[in-house]
Amino acid sequence: MSETATLSGLNAWVREFAALVDEHKEELTRLDSAIGDGDHGINMERGMAAVLAALDGAETPSSAALLKNVGMTLVSAVGGASGPLYGTFFLRLASACGEVTEVDADTFAKAVRAGLDGIVARGKAESGDKTMYDALAPAADALDEALAGGSSLRAALEAAADAAEAGRDATSPMPARKGRASYLGERSVGHQDPGATSAALLFRAAASVLG
Amino acid sequence: MVGIVVVSHSHALARAATEIAREMLHGRDVRIALAAGLDEHTFGTDAVQVQEAIEKVDGEDGVLVLMDLGSALLSAELALDLVDPGVAARVRLCAAPLVEGLVAATVAAAGGATLAEVESEAVAALAGKQAHLHPGPAAGASSAVDEDHGDADARATFTVANRHGLHARPAARLAGEVRTLDARVQLRNLTTESPAVPGASLSRVATLGALRGHEIEVTATGSQAKEAVDHVLALAARQFDEADDDPGDDGSSAAHPGLSSGVAGGATAIGSGDGPYPASPGIAAGPAWTPGTSVIKLTAEDLAPAADPTAEWRRIRSALATVRRETVQTRARTARELGEFEAAVFDAHLMLMDDSELLDDVRRRVNDGASAPHAWSTTVKAVAEDLSALTDEYLRARAEDVRAVHDQVLLALLGRSSAFEPRPGVLVAADLTPAQAALLDRDVVSGIVLAYGSPTSHSAILARSRGIPAVVGAGAQVLATPEDTIVALDGETGQLVVDPDAETLIEFKSRAADRELRLDEAMAAAAQPALTRDGTEIHVAGNVGCVADAVAATDHGADLAGLIRTEFLFLGRDSAPSVDEQEEAYRAVVTALSGRRAIIRTLDVGGDKPLPYVDQPIEANPFLGVRGLRLALARPELLRDQLRAICRVAADHPVSIMFPMVSAVDELLAARRILDEVLAEAGGGTEGTRPDDLEVGIMIEVPSAALKAAIFVPHVDFFSIGTNDLTQYTLAAERGNDALSTLADPLDPGVLRLIDSVCRAAASTDTRVAVCGEVASDPVAAPLLLGLGVDELSVGPYAVPVVKQAVRQLDLRHCQDLAARALDSVSAADVRSMITG
Repeated sequence: MSETATLSGLNAWVREFAALVDEHKEELTRLDSAIGDGDHGINMERGMAAVLAALDGAETPSSAALLKNVGMTLVSAVGGASGPLYGTFFLRLASACGEVTEVDADTFAKAVRAGLDGIVARGKAESGDKTMYDALAPAADALDEALAGGSSLRAALEAAADAAEAGRDATSPMPARKGRASYLGERSVGHQDPGATSAALLFRAAASVLG
Repeated sequence: MVGIVVVSHSHALARAATEIAREMLHGRDVRIALAAGLDEHTFGTDAVQVQEAIEKVDGEDGVLVLMDLGSALLSAELALDLVDPGVAARVRLCAAPLVEGLVAATVAAAGGATLAEVESEAVAALAGKQAHLHPGPAAGASSAVDEDHGDADARATFTVANRHGLHARPAARLAGEVRTLDARVQLRNLTTESPAVPGASLSRVATLGALRGHEIEVTATGSQAKEAVDHVLALAARQFDEADDDPGDDGSSAAHPGLSSGVAGGATAIGSGDGPYPASPGIAAGPAWTPGTSVIKLTAEDLAPAADPTAEWRRIRSALATVRRETVQTRARTARELGEFEAAVFDAHLMLMDDSELLDDVRRRVNDGASAPHAWSTTVKAVAEDLSALTDEYLRARAEDVRAVHDQVLLALLGRSSAFEPRPGVLVAADLTPAQAALLDRDVVSGIVLAYGSPTSHSAILARSRGIPAVVGAGAQVLATPEDTIVALDGETGQLVVDPDAETLIEFKSRAADRELRLDEAMAAAAQPALTRDGTEIHVAGNVGCVADAVAATDHGADLAGLIRTEFLFLGRDSAPSVDEQEEAYRAVVTALSGRRAIIRTLDVGGDKPLPYVDQPIEANPFLGVRGLRLALARPELLRDQLRAICRVAADHPVSIMFPMVSAVDELLAARRILDEVLAEAGGGTEGTRPDDLEVGIMIEVPSAALKAAIFVPHVDFFSIGTNDLTQYTLAAERGNDALSTLADPLDPGVLRLIDSVCRAAASTDTRVAVCGEVASDPVAAPLLLGLGVDELSVGPYAVPVVKQAVRQLDLRHCQDLAARALDSVSAADVRSMITG
C-alpha cells in the first residue's frame, strides 16, 4: 500500500520544483530561444519565486489552500502561456485534493489527471503537438499504471518522472503545432520543447520529495 | 453599453491601441479596461488582471474581450473561469486582431450596438483590411474545405433563374458579395451533383456549370453565416442583378463578348439592332486588321525553370497589380460611357485576378520552380480549358474572359506593352485604350470599327479628334472578321458592311467622293471667319487634348482652342507632374496654336479615374462626387501647381483658364483666390503682374450653375457649356446607357432651357457663351445654339471647316425663331423633327 502526500510534502514538492526551475532556467530559456520568444526560463523562475514568496507569508491550512495559492500566483506572475497552463494545473489539483492535510496516492493520481485535463481544456493541445502535454500525459499514465500495479507513491512518481523525461525527449523531432513555436513549423524540428522540459522537472521534483 | 477589455502582453501596446481607438469617439465615452503586461515594462498576461478588468467594465450589455496572442487567449479563457458565472455568460472573447478589432469595437460600442454587433464589427475589421490588401476570400474563408459543409451554420437552396445560368457576371456578383461577409460560403449544384466549391472563388463558381433551372445548395459557416446565406438567396431572387430583359442577356445581342454569331460569307450588313453607332464622320473601306490576333509566344528563356521562387512570385504580383490598375480604369471608363451592366464584365476580370484558388495554383507552380510566365500561363489556360469543356455554350464562351486576362497579365509579365503597330486599312478591335487610340494616324489607318464603346466613349472622341472615320458598338461578332476581309463603314450614319459586294463598295466610294468634295470646299474656306448670312461672326474653336490636336486645329482654321484638356498630363502616372513639366506641355500646345487663344481647362477628374498620388476616398457615385473643381479645391496644391504652370505660359500667349464642374459661386471664388495668390507670387508679391489678357471662365455642366448663371457673370469672362455632362445631370440619365439613349439627348427642351438661361444672363454683358460638348458639331443643333445666343462652338479640330460651312448657311433671325419654338417643344424628338422636317 502506498504512502500519502502530506501538506508538508506538497509544500516541499512546490519548493523543490522552484529550485529545479531556478537551476534550469538558463536551459529553459535557451530551449525557448530556439523555437519561441525566449522567455520560458525567466517566466517560470519569476512565477516560482513569486510562489515561494506567497507561501512564506500565507496561511495554507489544507492541500486545497496551498495548491490554489500556487495556482493563482502562477496565473498572475508567469506572464507567458505557462502561467494560465501551470496555474490551471494547480487549481484543478487543488479542487481534486480538497480541504485536507493529507492526500492518499489514488487521490493524488486523480488530481494529477484532473490537472492534466485542465491543461488540455485550456491549451487545446494534443499528443504530438510538441507541448508540455507530451511530457505530462505519459507521466499521468505512468503514475496511474504504477499505482494500479501496486507500486508505492514514491515508486510510482519515479516512474512518472521517467515517463515525463522520455516524453520530453520525444518532443525534439516533432514540428510544433501550438504556441509561438508553431509559427516556425518544420523549423522547430530538432529542438526539445521548453514546456515539456519544465513539465518533466515538475514530476522529477515530485519523485524526489513526495511519498 | 458594451464594455471592452484589452488583453495584451504589453501594457504600452494596449494603452496605445486604446488611444487610437478613443480618437474615433469624438468625446463619446466607452468603458475600456486594460489587462496588459505584468507591469508597465514586463511583457506577459495575467488572468487575474483580466478577471478584474472584466469586472470593472461589466454591465448588463456585456463585455467584449480583445486579445493579442498566445497566453493572452489562455489568460482570458482562464479569467472566464475566475469571474462569477453570471458575468462570464455575458462576456465574449473575440477573435478579431487587436488594433483593428479594438477600433471597430470601440466605435460600435459607442454607438450603442449589442454585444453580438460589437463583436461582428470587430471581426469585420480584419475583412476590411484583407479586402484592401488582397481582395480575396474574407476572413476565415479558406479554399481547403471544399467538402466540409456537413457542419454548416446556415444552409439553403435556390433555383438559378438567370437565362444563361451562373455565368461570369452573376458569378462575379455572387463571389464579390460573399467576400464582404465573415462567412465561409460553399455552393453545390444539386442538379448535377457537383462537389461543393467555395462561393468566394469566381473560377470555382463558374465550374458549377449552373444553368437556368438548376438547384444550388448554399451553405455557410462563420459569424455571419446566416447573413451570407440570406444574402445569396436575395441575390439569386434578383437574378444576381442581371436584368432578364436586358439586351445583354439576350443571346442574339451584339453587345456581348464571346458570342460567336460568326460572319457569313458574302456581304454581311451589320446594322440591325442597337449598334453600330456613328462615332467619327467619314467613309472608309479597306482590309480589316486586328491588333490582338498575334498569339503571345513564350521563348525557351521565358519557360526555363527559375532559380528564385520569391522573385518569380513578386513578378506575378507586380504584373497583376499593373493589369488590375488598367482594368480598374477601363471599368470606370466603361461604366461611365456604357453603364454598369457593360462594365460588370471587368468585375469578372478583376475577380479572376484576385481568385485565391487560381493564385494558389500559380504560386504552387512557382514554388516548384516554374518561371512566372510559365506558371501563370499553364494555370490560367487550364482554367480556360475547364470552362471550355462545359456543356453550356454560354458558359463556354466565358473562357474568353479568362483568356483575355491571361493575355493581359502575360504581356505585363513579359514587359511587353499592349501597344501595337498601326497598319493600313480598317482597324477592328474590341475597344481601344486611350494610349492605343493615341497611336493611330489617319494617314495610315483609314477607319476604325469597335465591337464595344459608344459614340461618347473616349476612343470615339479620339477618333473624331484624329479625323478617322469610326463606328462603335458594332457587337462582338465583328471581332470574328477574318484579317484582310474588306470592311466598309460610314462614320456619319453608322453603316457598316463586312465583305461588301462590288455594287455596295462602289456606292460607298461615290459617297466618299461626294464627301471629299464638300470637305475640300470647307477646307478651302476654313481659314475665313464663319459669318452667318446676316453677318454675325461665330467663333468656331477646336477641342484639343494634345499637341497634334493643336496642330490640326490650326491647320483646319480653328479661331481658337476652345477646350484644352489637361487630364493627359495627370493620368497613368505615380506622381503629380511638376510645374516645369506642365509648363513645357502647355507651352508646346499653345505654341502650335500660332497666337490663337488657348482656353486651358484645369484638371477634370473624379473618383472614376483615381490618381495614385491623390488620396480619393471610394465614392458610391463618382459622377456626383468629388470631381473637377471640387477635387482641385480639396487638393489645392494640385490646383496651385497647375495654375502656376498656366500663368507662366499666359505671360506670353493669350490664355484663358477654365474651371470644370462648378456648381456654386463660392467654389469659383475660392479658385480665383488661389489664382490671385499664384499671380502675386509670380510677380514677387507686387500688383499688376496679371497678364493683360488672361481670362477666367467656367464650364457649365451642372444645372444649378446654368440656372444661377447671372450670379456668376460678374466673376467670369466666359461660360463654356459642356453639353455632355449638362445633359446627363439634367435628365438624370447616364450618357451612353443604351436604355436611356432617347432620354439623354442634349436637344431635350429642358437642356435647351438651361442653355437659354446661361445665354440670357450673358446677353447684355461682355461675357461670352461657348458650347464645347458633342452637340456643338451636330448640324441639327447649330441653328438652335446660335438662336439661343451662343457665340462660340468648340468642336473636334477636323470638324472645324464643316461647322464653319454650316454656320455660313444660317440666318440668325431664323435661328432665333427656331430656338424660341424649341424651348416650348415637348421633346427632343419634336425639336429634331421641327428642324429637319
